[in-house]
Amino acid sequence: MADRILQYIVVLIASSAVIFILVRMNPADPVAVILGGRQTNPQTVANIRREFNLDKSYFEQYRAWIGGILRGDFGVSFRYRRPVTALVKDRVPVTAGIVIMSAVISVLVAIPTGIFAALKRNTWIDTGISLIQLLLVACPPFLTSILMIWAITAVAPTFPFVGSYDTFWQFLRRIFLPSLALSFSMIALTSRVTRSCMMDQLQANYRTVAVSKGLPPSAVIFRHCLKNAIIPVITVLGSQSGILIVGSVLVEKVFSLAGLGSVLIDAIKASDYPIVQGVTMLLVFVFMTISAILDIAYCVIDPRIRLT
Amino acid sequence: MPLAVSLLFLVGVIIIAVFAEKLATHDPNRLDVTHRLDAPSHEHPLGTDKTGRDIYSRLLHGSRITILSAFGVVLISALIGIPLGIAAGYFGGLADKVFMRMFDVILAFPSLLLAFVFVAAFGRGITNAVLALGIVYVPMLARLTRSLVLVEKNKAYVEAARSIGYSNAHIMMAEILPNCVDTLAVQMTLDIGYAVLDLASMSFLGLGVQPPTPDWGAMLEDGWIVMTSNPFVALAPGTMIVMTVVALNIFGDGVRSYLDPAQKKLPSIRKYRRPVRDLRK
Repeated sequence: MADRILQYIVVLIASSAVIFILVRMNPADPVAVILGGRQTNPQTVANIRREFNLDKSYFEQYRAWIGGILRGDFGVSFRYRRPVTALVKDRVPVTAGIVIMSAVISVLVAIPTGIFAALKRNTWIDTGISLIQLLLVACPPFLTSILMIWAITAVAPTFPFVGSYDTFWQFLRRIFLPSLALSFSMIALTSRVTRSCMMDQLQANYRTVAVSKGLPPSAVIFRHCLKNAIIPVITVLGSQSGILIVGSVLVEKVFSLAGLGSVLIDAIKASDYPIVQGVTMLLVFVFMTISAILDIAYCVIDPRIRLT
Repeated sequence: MPLAVSLLFLVGVIIIAVFAEKLATHDPNRLDVTHRLDAPSHEHPLGTDKTGRDIYSRLLHGSRITILSAFGVVLISALIGIPLGIAAGYFGGLADKVFMRMFDVILAFPSLLLAFVFVAAFGRGITNAVLALGIVYVPMLARLTRSLVLVEKNKAYVEAARSIGYSNAHIMMAEILPNCVDTLAVQMTLDIGYAVLDLASMSFLGLGVQPPTPDWGAMLEDGWIVMTSNPFVALAPGTMIVMTVVALNIFGDGVRSYLDPAQKKLPSIRKYRRPVRDLRK
């Protein structure tokens, strides 16, 4: 476990360096981005370079950036001349909400579906479920969102897709459809894994023992088989949570929500590095932390697993 | 049966991509403001988009860019990933450790997010999107290759090749690689599907194919907002994306179970009855 935590820290630092270096390979001149085409003189340029630490070496800049992040300061945006943290703060709940809600929907739908398919294996129900899975995996989240909006508009033209939200419940209602659209491909992946793991467990000897000693089927399935089948499913959820994080960028565009995605994409298009590197680092941090926590979690759930 | 249908569909898409000029009825980029968002008609089988361009022709031309760039992504990842994976698995030791740690860093990023950062570094456009995704796909393929090589390198034929005095390079490329190639080919088929999806996502965000070039993802980006006027602006490219990826998945899975002896059905007993009877005589 100590190895896993060490690996987590090392990879986190390495990925921050990768982000920092990549972003600086952009040929666009930061000063030009900051000035945004305004008239200038050498004095202003020198002032700007000092203000944004551009006169220091790359190593100094990197150290300043990391030091700032540890204090919760992600630097200052080139275009808006405002702290990235302030620009991004209001948008975190939307992205986090979509990711969490779609993860919850995925788990709630995928695991029962997977168990059901495994119990009904090689029947038309199982075939039908795997056909749907095949379609859902092939449908990128933005396409699902587009089709969803189109279909709902056709049925109920007055359905409110846009609009403000004040209370927490309104917020949840607003992000429900995007989360649902995002969860589809995750549902397909997770239920497929659940089905195959569950099928392995249903053929295990301990299941025959449990059935023959007279346990009710629900206890056999949920208390014995599911417990063993769930671990690979958790692994998949962890490694695929990246799909949800990036997918939220796609669905929020279609549902015109103000999340982190639109900030990131706009900043990429405008070469606004502080935002690009800040938001990317935040998303990578979240993704890596989820994977690390799940790795450690299933080590705790199942003592047979040793992390290497 | 599903395997045959998916293969037929994929061949069809490739033919469309090759002969797009011949099959298209209009210039995919010609604007026609008098025919904006026309419903499907005899002249425009799928109608026109918001600037009056023929959707059918754009769809055909788009297949070329979509398919070529998806192939490009997988080609790049294979050209880098497979040699790295073979070397890492075959030699082991320090090189192996260094490569695997490097891949850990790439895998620390959600895959599309790293591609976004690459695009931020090198600029928008289809070439950079293909390069970026190609690099992002390297670790998966390299890890798979490495795990295959780790099994193969302990087999007798490798020892035989070594005792004949073949060089390491020959053993890796001419002895071990051919024995891994079928599994890798299946994975690469599936990867083409993922590449189609990821490229479409990037084009949809405006980071991949730039307008007015026709591409399925870019067509969706261009069309989804006016979908209520002519649904085909988004339905046509969307359907093509989904069908292509489904076909690639079925094809890849089909080839995998065909190659996997454990999943092969035994031939029917009836086939052997006559020879056995003949033997008894």
